[in-house]
Amino acid sequence: MSMHNSAPIPAQAGIGLRSHHFREILDAPPPVAWMETHPENYFGDGGASLRVLERIRAQYPLSFHGVGLSLGSTDPIDHAHLRKLNVLIDRFEPAFVSEHLSWSSVGGRFFNDLLPLPYTSESLDHVCARIDEVQTILKRPLLIENITRYLTWQDSTVPEGAFMAEVVRTTGCGILLDLNNIYVNAVNFGLDPIEFLSAIPAQAVWEIHLAGFDHFGRALIDTHGQPVCPEVWGLYQWAIHRFGPRPTLIEWDTNLPPLSVLVEHATQADAILGGCHAAAS
Amino acid sequence: MLQLREIQQAFADGIIKGTYHDVAGAIHPGASALRSVALYRRLIRNNYVQALKITYPILSRFVGARYFGLVARGYFKKYPSSSGDLFLYGRHLPAFLTVVQSPPLLAELARLEWACHEVYQAADSPPLSHDQLQTLASADPSQVTFHLHAASRLLSFPFPVHRVWLALQPETPTDEVVDLPLPEQETCVVVTRGDGKVQVTPLARTDYLLLETMSQGVDAAAVERIAIEAEPEFDFPRFLATVLNLGVISGVFVENGP
Repeated sequence: MSMHNSAPIPAQAGIGLRSHHFREILDAPPPVAWMETHPENYFGDGGASLRVLERIRAQYPLSFHGVGLSLGSTDPIDHAHLRKLNVLIDRFEPAFVSEHLSWSSVGGRFFNDLLPLPYTSESLDHVCARIDEVQTILKRPLLIENITRYLTWQDSTVPEGAFMAEVVRTTGCGILLDLNNIYVNAVNFGLDPIEFLSAIPAQAVWEIHLAGFDHFGRALIDTHGQPVCPEVWGLYQWAIHRFGPRPTLIEWDTNLPPLSVLVEHATQADAILGGCHAAAS
Repeated sequence: MLQLREIQQAFADGIIKGTYHDVAGAIHPGASALRSVALYRRLIRNNYVQALKITYPILSRFVGARYFGLVARGYFKKYPSSSGDLFLYGRHLPAFLTVVQSPPLLAELARLEWACHEVYQAADSPPLSHDQLQTLASADPSQVTFHLHAASRLLSFPFPVHRVWLALQPETPTDEVVDLPLPEQETCVVVTRGDGKVQVTPLARTDYLLLETMSQGVDAAAVERIAIEAEPEFDFPRFLATVLNLGVISGVFVENGP
């Protein structure tokens, strides 16, 4: 029998789990509905981090948000990485397992960053085949997240939203919609975020991410190191109205504030979700 | 039109070598190829500097941010990451520091920190049971062998590098002083994990040799003989109590035993 809180992730706000907050969370579990973590942080064979995750998992529904699978790479899938991921999935029974619509390695060289794919029919066929392969091995659907990008490939012929919609249609995966990424790309490249969101089928959106960015010259950089900006909160309201209430994560990875700040953000997201729940009833 | 693989390889070359000509044609002319590749290069390099800093916090504190950043950037060029698991990045740093002829203390400190990094996430093992300890007391020593804990590492250094490691721990009082240069003095340590926290403990030379011998599956009788040859007055019970307390031994096995 599972020792975990086996409830699915509710359409409420959760927070990203970072080791910096372990002690605080164990001492006084915060009033949030769920937590999300990078599985790669627990790829070790043992030690304190895994034990802490066990304790937190006993109290909260959990989601795994992978950053190392390099789904769009033209190298073969890293089966050693998938094996480690599968071991963790068996142990912690996350409700969601997500990855990024990106690549981060080629020729055996890994950049451990999320690099953009050209949105072409070749990329589409390639990434769909890779998602199929991963979903078959993990025996579960993946959620695929849209990324920020700091360039546009010359040969991109398909708008990003339409590309993602086609990935969903072909593979049956879900979408993890990162609204901050949409906003950052929109500002950096003069795009219309609503156009992107309008291309996404509502039933495909299983989770939403909210985060903050930093400025680098005239560009916005997706650092996950600042509060969610008012414009992204506005997009969130628009998205919840269009897609309905969805599990929503406050994602904060750098320049980490006290846990209470993440909880305040989660409360703000819950208020928007609550408004949508109320309107629907 | 470049194929996806060609685009990825050209972009990767741009990131590692800082060149952008091969990938420039694939980037939309609305964005400067030079600026785009440079931005990604900067972001990725920062990721790697941070990853190395997490793995080598003491070395980073010891040499300071500026020097550590230079080391990290040189390391990134020589050893690009070969895994999506960043815990593995940095395993060649001790060798890299030796090759670039940095002061020997830095390579030895890096070797100690990599051992700490491995121990931190090594497999768990239950403590020795009362029955196993009883076995140790009653069995024929020539039939007894030991397993060292996966979360333990034996290391020896040409000087007491662990003093620097200990002095720069966050909880160490700031007035703790280590005189440099360190004396030339062979130093043995064992890295273990107690209560999830990594600890570095200096060992007597004979204790170190015996643990190394035990790790090779040599039986307890032979280990004791080696001890007596090294030190006629060697206190074997004291040695066993020390290593059991440190949690270095995770298993006692008796050939043909129960």
